Amino acid sequence: MSEATAIRGARIVQAPGRVIESGTIVIRNGVIESVGRRVDIPYDARIIDGDSLTVYAGFIDALTNVGVPESDDDNPTGSVPDRSNPTFERAGIAPQKDVRMHLDASDKSVASHRQRGFTAALAAPRGRMLPGQTSLVLLTGDKASDMVLPGTRPVLFEFEGAQGVYPGTPMGMMAQFRQLYREADRRMGVQAMYDANPSGLSRPPYDEVHAAFFSVIEGDTPIISFTSDALELRRALSLSDELGFNLMAAGLNQGFDVMDELMSRGIPTIVTLDIPDRPDWAAKADQDSLDQVLASYNDDTRTATFRDIEAEKRNLEAKQLVARTEFLTMPARFAEAGIPFAFTTYGLSVNVMRRNMMEYIANGLSEDDALSALTVDAAAILGLSNVMGSLDAGKMANLVVTDGNYFDKDSKVTIVFVDGNQHLTGDCSGSGCSDKFSWGN
Amino acid sequence: MKLVRLTGLLMALLLVNATSAIAQDVVIRNATVLTVTGGTLENTDVLITGGIISEIGKGLRTPRGTEEVDATGKFVMPGIIDAHSHIALSSVNEGSSPVTAEVSMEDVVNPYQIGIYRASAGGVTTSHLMHGSANVIGGQNETVKHRWGSSDPNDLRFEGAPRTIKFALGENPTRVHGRRGTGGTGAIVPATRMGVEQVLRNAFEHGKRYMEAWDAYDAELASNPRAVPPVWNERMEVMADIIRGEVLVHCHSYRADEIVMLTRVLKDYGVDKITFQHANEAFKVAPELAAYGAHASVFSDWWSYKFEVYYSTAYNTAILIRNGVITSINSDSGELNRHLYHEAAKTQRYGNLEDDEALATITINPAIQLGIQDRVGSIEIGKDGDIAIFEGHPLSVYAVPEMTFVDGVKVFDRAADPDDVRLEVDPEGAIGQYEGQITSRDHFHDQNEVIDFLEAFGDLEDVITETTHN
Repeated sequence: MSEATAIRGARIVQAPGRVIESGTIVIRNGVIESVGRRVDIPYDARIIDGDSLTVYAGFIDALTNVGVPESDDDNPTGSVPDRSNPTFERAGIAPQKDVRMHLDASDKSVASHRQRGFTAALAAPRGRMLPGQTSLVLLTGDKASDMVLPGTRPVLFEFEGAQGVYPGTPMGMMAQFRQLYREADRRMGVQAMYDANPSGLSRPPYDEVHAAFFSVIEGDTPIISFTSDALELRRALSLSDELGFNLMAAGLNQGFDVMDELMSRGIPTIVTLDIPDRPDWAAKADQDSLDQVLASYNDDTRTATFRDIEAEKRNLEAKQLVARTEFLTMPARFAEAGIPFAFTTYGLSVNVMRRNMMEYIANGLSEDDALSALTVDAAAILGLSNVMGSLDAGKMANLVVTDGNYFDKDSKVTIVFVDGNQHLTGDCSGSGCSDKFSWGN
Repeated sequence: MKLVRLTGLLMALLLVNATSAIAQDVVIRNATVLTVTGGTLENTDVLITGGIISEIGKGLRTPRGTEEVDATGKFVMPGIIDAHSHIALSSVNEGSSPVTAEVSMEDVVNPYQIGIYRASAGGVTTSHLMHGSANVIGGQNETVKHRWGSSDPNDLRFEGAPRTIKFALGENPTRVHGRRGTGGTGAIVPATRMGVEQVLRNAFEHGKRYMEAWDAYDAELASNPRAVPPVWNERMEVMADIIRGEVLVHCHSYRADEIVMLTRVLKDYGVDKITFQHANEAFKVAPELAAYGAHASVFSDWWSYKFEVYYSTAYNTAILIRNGVITSINSDSGELNRHLYHEAAKTQRYGNLEDDEALATITINPAIQLGIQDRVGSIEIGKDGDIAIFEGHPLSVYAVPEMTFVDGVKVFDRAADPDDVRLEVDPEGAIGQYEGQITSRDHFHDQNEVIDFLEAFGDLEDVITETTHN
């Protein structure tokens, strides 16, 4: 039996709202062996003094390219004989592409994600309209196969048109999606007929692109859409309504305009950690002057521009602040409406993850709801609740250890356990602790 | 905490913004009512209940709670219908293929686009949102009402309007497909007007065979449960629907020869519902169009912006109408659509059309061309409460649009027209630079999306120089 590790006397946040102010957690063989106020520490356990530490369940990034190195094949360009009829590959249509074949455990994104407290993720291949099949991964291990977890493997769909060939526009992608889906549906029927009795039937056509849709049509594999505005999200929803596949909605910038539709469908919801930049004029302004701008906002302004350009400008600025706040308050409004959601860093540098999440919190999202999005709700959305999302005996040993409340600006992630593997030693007092990490930057 | 307090204030503002117009019964009092189809009625009231015109008459008694609009001295006309528009769309040209019947503007309606409000400010209540002219057979169009205020594209849909599709002849498709050799692909058919006809005939022939193959499959299925369905083809599904008469064709065209060419192709496939868009030389073949039952949707007095439209006349509309061709005047522009009433009035300067004939070019005639004449295009009991109120006769150069109603909901009121009515605001960009600003590019009409598309190919200069608009 391998060595156990015990974190003793730490503040243990088993799940949002379920806190042991001073307790002990014991892990062994990649599993949480025990957790509680009073826990017998096994004789063979290595002990970490948790006096000033807080322990959380490992964070989960619900859509990311983590562990998938960039490649020239991601954005196919170049000459084709007929741009109206490119190969699937050239058009960015690769639903059969399996991210597990493209993982690299040594890619520096893995460590970088882990340093932020992420222990698991839904990893997506890189590409355009249909980049391929995602996979649940653990952010640990020496080789790709160490990372892979069994479970849901949604096919990613994005409104990223083919470059210079069909389909290049959102409407073209909508039409192409329907074409692929409906022809796959037809082929499935023909294949079933052939499998039952091939006598007298021509061999059904086969290609891996259409075949990749079979399990989507059967309802076993969801489509995960990544959308970056309300209209894209509506398009993904209408494809799902029309064709009947299971949809997971990720990204959701501007999703505040589509809340009713998300709620009525109850589909898995994954919110981006991307937020609008502070506009240049506001970045330079102090809070008091922003307050003044806002206080002067009048939605019925009628100013002759040639007479008072300043007044008009101030009003436009105020309206922009309002607009930006719509984006920043979205997670809070989702939480208030009872829509559970996870977070995604897809398309983002993971460096901005904490800073942007703190903006969501400053705009009304509770720390508990933010933590839920990182842990228990993410686990539920990805079908991982039985192994992840909370610190309970029997679950996988995915832990984030911080030197204070994770949501305090000055706190740091000191240790991350993934599947029981310890990363980022907290003992960095000496030299040579290059991976000591502060997320304040 | 300061930010939290600020958020409270902001949330209050958001709620104000989210309030949208709610249908209310409204009576417009004592106006000069230009019904278009039933003459002009002086000192007349129009009552709209539940979004429908329910009564027209003098001194109407109205239910309690009906909103009163005093239109004494003002003119009331049916909401204007723009039969050719590219406002409120996220993309316009799927310019990668000469035939893209499978794409649909329905998928890319953008209800946030400020052009909807601007059009309403010109009395326009319905727009026909068209695919661009890059392809011989472009995408399906979408007929929308200007229900400004909703963020849901489905709310704008003109429910029950027939499906329509964009075709395009001449220089645009031949330039985009036939003369391009860059961007990693060679030139493809069509490079000439002959090629355009061949692309049309090929598409129709494939569509016909596709339809026959599915009909044969359906028939075989009755006796053979192991019948194998033909390969699914979204594009040919739409071609088959055109042949079945379920999709109205609206074709970008200029020259008389290509106009006649298309009627011949359509005749071969039994398609009789056709509106020629632009059609600057349609006057040359007006009797032929009338004989075919074809319609035309034209500019009032605009041509010579490229070689194939070198020759035209401002009498085009009048000649077509006098020859019995149902003709509308369209904008094809997010700017010109704000003064379509002026465009209609030009038919009186050039061709002496009667008031009702001139007004019909922007009301009942486009309604007929879009197959929505039972719902809109005139002021009649039972029709939709789509109304424009003008100070001054709308065919006068002094006309000023004052109020616009869609389904009885006031979507524009000149007396309550704040500076900034945007539904969507860029949260991070520089102030004063936002999507929807009218720029010089707005005068290039449906060229914009072609440019966007072609930027990927790197031969943008070529395209701009040669223009791809209209």
